[in-house]
Amino acid sequence: MARLISGIILFLCAAAGAAQTVEDRQFKEAGVCARCHVISVVEWGMSHHRQAGIACTSCHGPSPGHVKDERNNIKPERLPRGTAIAGLCAGCHASGCPKTQQTASCQDCHHSHALVDPKKPAMVSDSHLDEISARWSRFAELERRGEELVKAGDWRGASDAYRQALAQKPADRQATERLKMCERRLNPSLPGFEVIGKEFDSQTGLPLHVRVAGSGISMALVPGGEFEMGSERFPAAKPVHTVRVEPFYLGQYELTQAEWKSLMGSNPSAPPAAGQPEPDRMPVDQISWEDCQSLLKKLNDGVPGSGFRLPTEAEWEFAARAGGGTPEAAVPQEPRQMGNQEPNALGLFGLMGSVWEWSSSLYRPYPYVALDGREELDAPGLRVLRGGGYAEWKDWLDPAARHSERPNRRLRGNGMRLARSVPAGL
Amino acid sequence: MHSTLKMSTSTRREFLAACAAGLVAGRTLAAAADVQAPPVQEFRRGGMVYRRLGRTGMDVSLLSFGSHTDPADRLPAGPEKTVLTPEGQVRRDRIIAHAFDLGVNLLDVYATEGQWEPAAKLVRGRRDKIIISLAHDITPKDIDQAAKFFGYVDLYRFCAQEIDQPTIENWDLLRKAKEAGKIRAIGISTHIERTMTMALDELEGIDFIFFPYNFIHARADYSQFLPSALSNGIGLIAMKPLASGSIMKLDPRARPGAKPEFEDLQLWQRVGKPVLPAAVVELTESLNRLPDETLCMAAMRFVYSRPFLSTALTGMAEDRLLEDNYKALAHYSEMRPEERSALDKARQLASLRGADWLRPDYRWLEEQWRG
Repeated sequence: MARLISGIILFLCAAAGAAQTVEDRQFKEAGVCARCHVISVVEWGMSHHRQAGIACTSCHGPSPGHVKDERNNIKPERLPRGTAIAGLCAGCHASGCPKTQQTASCQDCHHSHALVDPKKPAMVSDSHLDEISARWSRFAELERRGEELVKAGDWRGASDAYRQALAQKPADRQATERLKMCERRLNPSLPGFEVIGKEFDSQTGLPLHVRVAGSGISMALVPGGEFEMGSERFPAAKPVHTVRVEPFYLGQYELTQAEWKSLMGSNPSAPPAAGQPEPDRMPVDQISWEDCQSLLKKLNDGVPGSGFRLPTEAEWEFAARAGGGTPEAAVPQEPRQMGNQEPNALGLFGLMGSVWEWSSSLYRPYPYVALDGREELDAPGLRVLRGGGYAEWKDWLDPAARHSERPNRRLRGNGMRLARSVPAGL
Repeated sequence: MHSTLKMSTSTRREFLAACAAGLVAGRTLAAAADVQAPPVQEFRRGGMVYRRLGRTGMDVSLLSFGSHTDPADRLPAGPEKTVLTPEGQVRRDRIIAHAFDLGVNLLDVYATEGQWEPAAKLVRGRRDKIIISLAHDITPKDIDQAAKFFGYVDLYRFCAQEIDQPTIENWDLLRKAKEAGKIRAIGISTHIERTMTMALDELEGIDFIFFPYNFIHARADYSQFLPSALSNGIGLIAMKPLASGSIMKLDPRARPGAKPEFEDLQLWQRVGKPVLPAAVVELTESLNRLPDETLCMAAMRFVYSRPFLSTALTGMAEDRLLEDNYKALAHYSEMRPEERSALDKARQLASLRGADWLRPDYRWLEEQWRG
C-alpha cells in the first residue's frame, strides 16, 4: 500500500514537473534576452503569448550569434518590421484577429510584445502625462510642417520649424538631423571642398559631388546606413554581420599617379607597360600603407578642415556594395585609367579589379567593430586591402573579399583611394 | 609576425637533447627547456606513423614520396622540361601506388618532369587521403592549372633563394590563393639556412618549410631557426634525408646490384679515387653489428627520430628503397647505440672524402649544411 501511495505521489510530481518544465525553459530563454531587452521581456511576461508558451525564440528564432554578441553587431535571425509583422502573426493567427478579423497591420492595435491596445483610454488620469502628451503632439505637428517646407525647398522655414520642434522635444535625433540638413542646404560650402553641381543628399543635405580644394581630386558622398558586412564565401569574411556606417566622402577614382606625384613629388608606380596610355591618369601603385599616411598628413596639413584619411574596410565595403545594394557588375581586370569604366550607383569608379586599395583598418577577425582598436593608426599589425587586383583571380572581385599586408610593404598592384569624414563645424 | 624565441636558459644542443628526451618520455617537445613548442601529435596506423604538419591540421606520413625521378628514365621534352620513358613511368606509378598501400600519404610532384598528369590519375579515387605537394611557378594560371589537375592543392611552395622583393610578391600571391581557397597550406623550400630564418619573420602566414636534413647535414639542429619555427607552429619537412642518394654510396655492404641514384658503384670502389681502407673497414664492422639494417635505413631512422620533423621526403626510384625506408619506421623513435656508431663512422668516412662523395650539383650540402 505504501508503495502504491509513493508511486502516485511520484507520478503527480513528474506530471507537475513536466508542465513546469515548458514554462521554466521559456523563462530561461527570456532571461537571456532580458539581459539587454528588459522592457520587452517584462511586456512579454504580461502578455497572452507568455501564457500560451510563445517564447522570444518563437518569433525571433534561436539567434545564437545575437545572444553571444554583446555589441549587437549580429542581429536576431528574424526581426520583422512593418508589414512583415502581420506575416509572422499569420503563422499562428491564420484567420486574422479574433476580434476584428483584420489580417494586416496587427501592430496598429497591439503592441508587439505586450499585446495591449494603445488606443484604449488610460484608466487613471495624470496631468503631467497630459502635458507631455500635448507637447509631443505639438512636436509632431511642427515636424510635419518642417517636412512640408523641405518638400517645397523652403530651407529657412523648415529650419525654423525644426528648431521649434526641438524646443518641444529637445535632443530628438531625427529632428536634430533634419535641422542640420536644412542648415547645410542654406550654406552648402564645406571647408576644403569645392562643391560640384547642385545635387544634394536628401537625408543629410550634403553635396553629392565635391572636389578637394587645390588638388582637383573629385570625391563623392557615401550616405551612411546599415548593411550586411562579410560573406560566407571567404573564411576571413565570416560571419556576415550588420554594420552601421556614417556618411563620408570617398574618392571617385583610385588616386592617380599624377595626383600622387603632385602631392609627394615622385611617382612610385612601375613604368607603364606597352600600350598603356597616359600613365598619369592610371592608378598609383607600389605604395605602402605608411606611404599613404605620409600623403594624408601632407594633404591634411595643406587643406582647411583636414579629415582626409583612408576608408575603413567597413566604409569601403559599404561603398562597393553601392550603399548596401548589389555589388558592382562584373568588371574587366586591368589597371584602369581614370574614368575609363562605368560608375556604380554612388558614382564611384573602379572599386573592384583595378588595383588593391589600402584601408585604414587592422586585419582582425570579424565581426567588425570600429571601436575595438582596429582603427588605431599607431597599432602594429597587418592592414586590410580591398577590391582585388588586375593581376589575380576573378574570385577577388567581391566586395567582401579581404586581403592584408604589412604597412611598410610596397607591392605591385597596391594603391589607394582617398576618404574624408564629413568636415566638422557645420 | 613571428616572434623569435629566446633561448636564454639552454643551448640549442640542449634543446635538441631535450627534444629527443621528450620524444622518448612522453612524446612532447614542450619538455625542451623553455621552448613553448606544442606536443608532438602523432599516431601509428599499420606500419606507418603519421605526424601533424605544424598548424595545418594535416596528418602526414613520416615517410613521404619525393618528386625526383630516375635520370635514366628521363627524356627531354622542351626547355628545362623532361618526361619519363613509358617504362619509367609505369615503374614510377607502380612504386607510388605501392607506397600509398604502405600508408604513405604525401606525394610531392614536379611539373617540370611531366608528373602532374600521371600523379593526378594515380590519386583519383583516393584524393581525400593523399596530400599533394607542388612546387611550381607562382602565377594565377599555374595555380589554377594545378587545382584543375588535382581538384585542389594541399601544399604549394616555391624555392626561395633569398627573401627579396620578388619573393615577397610571389608570397603575396600564394597568400591570396590560400585565402581564395585554392590552396590549403603554403610554404617554401630552401637550401639556405639564412633564408629559412628570414622566412619566419618575413613571410606572413607561412605554414611549412622544406629544408635539407640528414645525419651528416644536420646543421639546422644548431640554428635559431628550429625553436623559432616550432614555437610558431611551422610544419618542417626534411628534404635530402639520403643526400640525394649519395648516402647509399657510403654503404660498403650495399647489396649486389644495388643502384644508387646516380652511380653504379659504391664510393670506395670508384676507379681513380683513393680507397680509404681503414675508414671503410671501421664502417663495415659497425654495420655488421646491424645485420638486418642498411646504412640507408639507419640514416632514415635518424631523420624519423627527430620529433620536430613532420616527414622525410625522399625520391624512391626502386621498390627496394621504398621497402627499406618503410622498414626503418619500426622502432623509429629511438636510435640504438649500434646505429649511432655506424652513422658516426659513415660521417667520418664522408668527412675524409671532402665534398666529392656528393654529386657535383649537391656539393652545396657539404658547404652549407654539415652539422
